[in-house]
Amino acid sequence: MLILIMKSKIIIAIVALVIVALMGWGYYSTAQHRAHGHTSELNPKETIFEHLGDAYGWEVPFNHNARIPLPIIVWGQDGLHCFMSNRITGGETYEGFKISTSEKYHGKVVQVMEDGSEVRPWDFSITKNVAGLFIAALLVIWMVFSLKRWYARNNLKAPRGAKGFLELVVDFVYGDTIRPILGKHAPKYAPYLLTAFFFILTMNLLGLIVIFPGGANLTGNIAVTLVLALLTFLITTFSGTREYWKEILWPEVPMALKCPVPMMQLIEVLGMFTKPLALMVRLFANMMSGHMVVLVLVLLIFIFTSLFGVGVGIGTSIFSVAFTLFMLLLDVLVSFIQAYVFTILSTIFISMALVEPHHSEAK
Amino acid sequence: MELFTPEFGLVFWMFLAFLCLYFILAKFAWPYIIKSMEERADKIDKGVAYYQEAEARLQNAQAEADKLIAQAHNEQADILREAAKMRNELIENARGEAADEAKKVTEAAQVSLEQARKEAEKQLRTEVGDLALQIAEKVIRRNIANDDAQRALVEQYLSEVETKN
Repeated sequence: MLILIMKSKIIIAIVALVIVALMGWGYYSTAQHRAHGHTSELNPKETIFEHLGDAYGWEVPFNHNARIPLPIIVWGQDGLHCFMSNRITGGETYEGFKISTSEKYHGKVVQVMEDGSEVRPWDFSITKNVAGLFIAALLVIWMVFSLKRWYARNNLKAPRGAKGFLELVVDFVYGDTIRPILGKHAPKYAPYLLTAFFFILTMNLLGLIVIFPGGANLTGNIAVTLVLALLTFLITTFSGTREYWKEILWPEVPMALKCPVPMMQLIEVLGMFTKPLALMVRLFANMMSGHMVVLVLVLLIFIFTSLFGVGVGIGTSIFSVAFTLFMLLLDVLVSFIQAYVFTILSTIFISMALVEPHHSEAK
Repeated sequence: MELFTPEFGLVFWMFLAFLCLYFILAKFAWPYIIKSMEERADKIDKGVAYYQEAEARLQNAQAEADKLIAQAHNEQADILREAAKMRNELIENARGEAADEAKKVTEAAQVSLEQARKEAEKQLRTEVGDLALQIAEKVIRRNIANDDAQRALVEQYLSEVETKN
């Protein structure tokens, strides 16, 4: 009983500390914000979209202006330029490049022409998101190879601890999802699906960590989900059987629906594209909205502070932090669910492309 | 809507990163992991099947053993009963034989006793006769001339005595 009370006291103390720290941080960064000539009031919309989007350099906590510099690689009008992001993130122009403040290219690297106009170069920069991608990829490699090493060294002994959990997840995704759905084709497609699952999961979870190795809103970025969905689309399309294409181009429906006007064909072809599109939007929207809700909840503190004063802000912070914690935990769940949903749907789309002729109808 | 416009650079790097990740994992990790996991699953399945079979066998063996034990108990009881019967018979036989033997011994003893008695009687009779004769002779030597007539008389008396006995 005493231990329980002590434990709960420790938890309360930690929560209180977190709240105080957050409030201090909030006050500090707001003060810094003001001191740096941001005379305008807090702009929640801008702040939210800034955090959801990409950035050159990686923010560090407690200092609004310091960033971990990342390489900028651009192909402008006069060829390739590489330099570190800290040369331009302060608003400077370096080798003719700067971060635009114009409406059109806001926050992106642009090349300033001689007449003052801004041209967007081919931008291969290692931005925060790209660096996040690499970190996630390396983490996945490390994770998966640690499991492999376990098997290589321990000869079929069940893995313990974190590796055991990893194996549980692999088994759930492969043994309980991919293999039952794809059957004999499973070994061929499993590497793609498993890689996609673990990459998405790692990116999702990394996105929830607020400081350096995490914090990049990767799967909440449409470019990332676009590539993933595109790969599923390509695999589905290129492994389509004769029966799959027949069902698209000459489905078994009454003649009137397909012959003079190819209505069914139109719908089926549309379906080919809507499936990956849904994959792309689902993952993107889920992760992005999770981040957005957390951001809004945190920003509520500052909004209320600026509207009603510090007292109300402190009151709000208690609720905000509680809800933020809840949302983050929910997002951990969502991270797993969305990675799994992406994988299972990709598996199903692939299995639909691998369809064999129905024997009863073939006769 | 900046949020919904995929950035070219990120698409490029994502494509590259994913493909590298895919090729590394698909070549060096996933097949091995899947193979190992399936091997282990197979091994566990086999182990379970083996265990179940072994358990069934064990139960069979147990039943068999129980049956054997029960049978052995029955046999033991039979043997004991048989043995008891045999023992009783043996004792009975021995008793009978002993009784016979005893009877025989007794009879023989009686016979020899009888013989001895007759012998003794005979001897006694002769000795008594002689003794009587000697006595009689001493008593009546002088007035009895005919010895033979006297002896017949004594014989006669003795016979009378014998019949009285």
